[in-house]
Amino acid sequence: MSAAAEDLQGRFPDAAALAAALDGTGYLAGDALATALFLAVRMGQPILLEGEPGVGKTEAAKALATGIGTTLVRLQCYEGIAAAEALYEWNYPRQLLAIRLAETTGEALRESDLFTDDYLLARPLLAALDHPGPLPAVLLIDEIDRADDEFEAFLFELLAESAVTIPELGTRRATVPPVVILTSNRTRDLHDALKRRCLYHWIGYPGPDRVAAIIRRRVPGASGRLAGQVAESVRRLRDLDLNKPPGIAEAVNWATALGVFGDSELSPASAERTLSTVLKYSEDEEAVHRVGLATLVVPND
Amino acid sequence: MTDHFPAGDFPAGDFPAGGGAVAAAGDRPASDVAAVTARFGAQLHDAGVPVDPGRCERFARAVTLMRPRTRAELYACGLATLVSGPDQIEIYDRLFAAAFGISLEQSVPVSAAVPVGEPGPRDGSPPSATSSAPPPGRAGAALDARSGGPGDEPDPQDAEMPWRTLSSDAERLADRDFADLSAAELLQLEALMRQRALATPSRRTRRYRPAAAGSRPDLRMTLRQARRTAGEPVQLARRAPRLRPRRLVVLCDISGSMEPYARAMLQLLYCASQGQAGRRAPGRGATGRARAEVFTFATRLTRITAELAAARPETVLARAGAAAPDWSGGTRIGASLKEFNDEFGCPGLARGAVVLIISDGWETGDAAQLGRQMARLSRVAYRIVWANPRTKSPRYRPEVSGMAAAWPYCDAVVSAHSLNAIDDLITALAASA
Ligand SMILES: Nc1ncnc2c1ncn2[C@@H]1O[C@H](COP(=O)(O)OP(=O)(O)OP(=O)(O)O)[C@@H](O)[C@H]1O
Ligand SMILES: [Mg+2]
Repeated sequence: MSAAAEDLQGRFPDAAALAAALDGTGYLAGDALATALFLAVRMGQPILLEGEPGVGKTEAAKALATGIGTTLVRLQCYEGIAAAEALYEWNYPRQLLAIRLAETTGEALRESDLFTDDYLLARPLLAALDHPGPLPAVLLIDEIDRADDEFEAFLFELLAESAVTIPELGTRRATVPPVVILTSNRTRDLHDALKRRCLYHWIGYPGPDRVAAIIRRRVPGASGRLAGQVAESVRRLRDLDLNKPPGIAEAVNWATALGVFGDSELSPASAERTLSTVLKYSEDEEAVHRVGLATLVVPND
Repeated sequence: MTDHFPAGDFPAGDFPAGGGAVAAAGDRPASDVAAVTARFGAQLHDAGVPVDPGRCERFARAVTLMRPRTRAELYACGLATLVSGPDQIEIYDRLFAAAFGISLEQSVPVSAAVPVGEPGPRDGSPPSATSSAPPPGRAGAALDARSGGPGDEPDPQDAEMPWRTLSSDAERLADRDFADLSAAELLQLEALMRQRALATPSRRTRRYRPAAAGSRPDLRMTLRQARRTAGEPVQLARRAPRLRPRRLVVLCDISGSMEPYARAMLQLLYCASQGQAGRRAPGRGATGRARAEVFTFATRLTRITAELAAARPETVLARAGAAAPDWSGGTRIGASLKEFNDEFGCPGLARGAVVLIISDGWETGDAAQLGRQMARLSRVAYRIVWANPRTKSPRYRPEVSGMAAAWPYCDAVVSAHSLNAIDDLITALAASA
């Protein structure tokens, strides 16, 4: 075992130790998520995190990198993303410059001189493979469901081999294979082959107690009482049929905004002032007013 | 009774850790853990959760790595490795409760609470005892390897482990047709498959080794030894040709109708090559463990030897299937065989080799071509063994066009349709011409 692997194993002998490290970064992971991330690190297996928007998928990867003290490499996927954006590109301006320079100095320049590491622009996937260690990088492939099938297939190959082939340079194999975290909002089903390679965790929307705990971690000034009230009101809002039900980020924003206004408690009046931090659509605000803010706020005492 | 998973029951092994970043080297699942995880996986699979052998194995690795002490920990291991969608969580919860007990909240030690399945009726006779007595001679060495060495004795300490009650399950599966096994059940057979050695008869090589009763006098050695006795050659050193097991070449039909059998046979090859890799071939005499060259075909021939050495058979099969563009486009056995003969077989690979063809003989191409290619192959190969699951029926007649054309060139035809039927295959491979 490498020294780095031993170091990781020593610092995180079990899932609880990893959970504590995540907690240290302000991220609260339940047992199941902590176990899944622990296994991803220890088994060297990619993990797919799925869940509704805003439940903390992206944040989990960031917290993992910070928690174990390594580099986060992030690839944000989008429709039409291709290998050039994800893997590498040749630095054409620089190659051109080299050609001009060679012309002026009269130096002989072969084509192979132009396709070396010096002219390679590593994009996230290559950067993660090239990561020198000693600890593995955390490679976050965010919102893979936005990319198309071909990209998924390409990614599958790369994950299976922990290597890529650059025609001009040959095969690049990861010296320290990254810990790979993929996230998806399930806007479409991922390919079976990709899923089969991955560990999996579904991040459900947490109950009000956990939301309150998250608020307290993220908004230092918030009292336990305020955090509890916000969490409960967000839960009630989520029961309404809204276009964009508020998530954890909105709960955190809400508590922050209340702090800014100096409100130490959530009342219908303070809720009214800060509602725009929770709801994104005016239709949603109207819907809330129709049922009445009073029914959404836990009464004081 | 043990209160916890006894740590000592998880031996350090050399599990191939899929190139993982920090995958520890010593996390090979103990075989009883593998049996329980495979069984639970099979239950999930049967309930509609897409659990495949790869996931079962990952679950086993996770258990081995985490050594869960509570149900909640075991639950989390399974959740991360066996489930792959939110809609599956409910089924997982239900089956987990049924298999391992309900109260996830309490920190109940797992093994105290795990009546892992009902301890089914134990099948008294091990599968190896069911087949008829092995033929004398060369086949004996191959069959010896199955009874396992002293290292395979069950550890009396973990006799009470719930994992244990399940080994008889695998034995019960040994008689079932491969086509009737779920993916997870097939995985349960791995431990038994590992005990099978695929051996081929030996051939002489051009190299010689010293041998007291060798047929040829070794002059150089005699002179060297004579120096010790003041130049007087007291003893005539003898030498005998070095023996090597013949190469085994496998051509496996992966077309739709053969899929379950192909899966099983590749798993067998994979297990056999891994099984007792560290152990020497028995007797080093007439037969020996063969290194197999493996090809798959449906409409195209694919060489998968290297892949099979590096990855699990399901993965290899999936890739081979993906590489052949028209999976359901029938089977062109003759054309595939021609490709093999032209490129590999006749140039050398099949020379003096034992060739195993695994196919139901359902030729959608030209049967006459198959006949011609079999004739070519039979001229270079040492023996040709055909494994055809359809021949399990005593009423089988080679009337399918392809099989009829191939039949005259086969030295043996076996069914190899279940684990127990594999023994006939082993015998056929080890037989001499
Ligand atoms: N378990 C948690 N502990 C602490 N903070 C959390 C947790 N979960 C979510 N958050 C907070 O919620 C915010 C939103 O999380 P994040 O962006 O990771 O969600 P997401 O699931 O990636 O959403 P999307 O699908 O929209 O990308 C984070 O910035 C973080 O503040
Ligand atoms: Mg995100």
